[in-house]
Amino acid sequence: MKLHTASEVISLAKKLENESAKLYRDLSRRYVKDGDVFTAFARENEANIVQIERAYYGVITDAIEGGFAFDIEPDDYTFEGVPSQDTSRSDALDRASAIEEKISRFYYDAARQSDVLMADIPRAFRLVAKKRDNRRARLKALLNSP
Amino acid sequence: MALLEETIKEVRTIKNFIGGEWVESKGVIQDVINPATGKLIAKVPISTGDEMNAAVKAAREAFPGWRTTPPVARARCLFRLKELLEQNFEELSRIQTQEHGKTIDESRGETRRGIENVETACGIPTLMMGYNLEDIASGIDEYVIRQPLGVFGIIAPFNFPFMIPLWSGPYAVATGNCVVVKPSPEVPNSQMRLAELIEEAGFPPGVWNVVNGEREVVNAMLDHRDIKGIAFVGRTATARDVIYKRCGETGKRVIAQGAAKNFMVIMPDCNVERTIPAMMTSFFGNTGQRCLSGANLLIVGEDEKFYKDFLNQVIDAAKKIVIGYGLDESVQMGPVRSKDKKERITGDIESGIKEGAKLRLDGRKGFKITGSYPQTCFLGPTIFEGVTPDMKIAREEIFGPVMSVMRAKNLDEAITMCNASQYGNGNAIFTSSGKSAREFQYRVVSGNIGINIGIVAPMAFFPFSGMKDSFFGILHTQGQEAARFFTESKFVIQRWL
Repeated sequence: MKLHTASEVISLAKKLENESAKLYRDLSRRYVKDGDVFTAFARENEANIVQIERAYYGVITDAIEGGFAFDIEPDDYTFEGVPSQDTSRSDALDRASAIEEKISRFYYDAARQSDVLMADIPRAFRLVAKKRDNRRARLKALLNSP
Repeated sequence: MALLEETIKEVRTIKNFIGGEWVESKGVIQDVINPATGKLIAKVPISTGDEMNAAVKAAREAFPGWRTTPPVARARCLFRLKELLEQNFEELSRIQTQEHGKTIDESRGETRRGIENVETACGIPTLMMGYNLEDIASGIDEYVIRQPLGVFGIIAPFNFPFMIPLWSGPYAVATGNCVVVKPSPEVPNSQMRLAELIEEAGFPPGVWNVVNGEREVVNAMLDHRDIKGIAFVGRTATARDVIYKRCGETGKRVIAQGAAKNFMVIMPDCNVERTIPAMMTSFFGNTGQRCLSGANLLIVGEDEKFYKDFLNQVIDAAKKIVIGYGLDESVQMGPVRSKDKKERITGDIESGIKEGAKLRLDGRKGFKITGSYPQTCFLGPTIFEGVTPDMKIAREEIFGPVMSVMRAKNLDEAITMCNASQYGNGNAIFTSSGKSAREFQYRVVSGNIGINIGIVAPMAFFPFSGMKDSFFGILHTQGQEAARFFTESKFVIQRWL
């Protein structure tokens, strides 16, 4: 079922951030050498939630189109959680990068759909999406390092 | 989709808040029903005139101490209140959804708007400053100071149970006055919770009082000599013929905001993709129960294709609106507040049919409620086509999710139609032409004007204006005008001999 209201899109954003944080915490335990990077990602996810909620709760009013600004298919952005124990490091990094790409796409799509209609929220979404683009570059760099 | 947890969990009998005490009323008790679920959520007293008089007495007694409290100290009480409101933001929002029926996004929006008024009133040391000029003649200086007047009454409607008393209350107390708030007995929980937080914020007893009730307490408020002014929001007949008139008779200041019949003017050069969601929000947000809702959709131009395409897109979007309990995050439109209101709106729809308007979407039937809830207060969106200015549905406020579609040959005719309305609250134009927008803004007689904005709600630091039969008074709620309304200008001229 598609999501149309700001409230449910914010809830989806939080869910994606929390699931992705869980993934990175697990990876930090499993791949100790890269642990600092993954832990930083997990912390950044928590900061992203604060940033998004701050934008939403700060600008939500009945003057903007909170109930009608989105047309999001949540299934397009869901991802499998933590890779299994026997997943290799390179596969895990690949998986993390694919997840980042999905989440980034969610934020860009949500920002584009709600542009003009949702005041500061699209801007917050784009900022988080941009962070995710940077993450993918970091993940690629890790993949290329032994 | 997830149903958010309800915050009103038990049925309480609401008390009045008088002189810092929670006082049981002697009045008859009335049920407060959640319009979506049909469940009893509270019991509210219909208080007596004597109880209102007791609240005014408490406010009058608190006034001397409060008015001599420095503005900066009064502002600090408001800062504490602002923090408490932020901490309890979600609870306050869900209470509104439970008692009013609006969606959670709408309730959160209402909470934010209310808090913004508290924030703005925190600037009272600056807002209530006077002005001066030295040497108006050699050696003589002159200045103006602003002083509070005493006790003010605030009478609130049902459609924004949390926010509307905050359009005026924070400015009243920030300037050193004391207030008695009368919430709508249909939705008393939000104001009860607000009063609890005001108590927690450390306002002295008697500065903020709440008396629940109906006509008897309003009459007591209007008659009371110690009430210096009233801020009212409600129906035009009450605003004009009761509140404004009797405040005049008893020498009270008055802000009386009435009804509306807002036009959304669609120019052929508008951004259609962005305008459709704005129309959904304007006409069907808050289930059409707000004085800034779109009522008449006025499509301009003789381009048949544009007209048909635009209208069909509006109808398609309205058909897809998710209806249900506002605590379900997927819901885009909740129920109307009560069965009586639904029946009144249904009567207006029938009147439109009788007058010959073409019913393109019938909100009385055929809509689906998400979840298992009684039909009692639910309506779907209704859209009439071929509405003419003489029809009742084009002229009178419906206060429900009903859109009347009209046509105008050009912008000039559209402006003439807007101006023929007895109301002047929140009219808007949708266009990509600066010239058309400027013309609309300049000529339309309306207190609030929207340009590509369908709900013309001013921020807290701007006045909530209104013209014609939508407003009676001079100064408005919110911001600087509210600070002026709640203070008297005292002029001093001095010469030292």
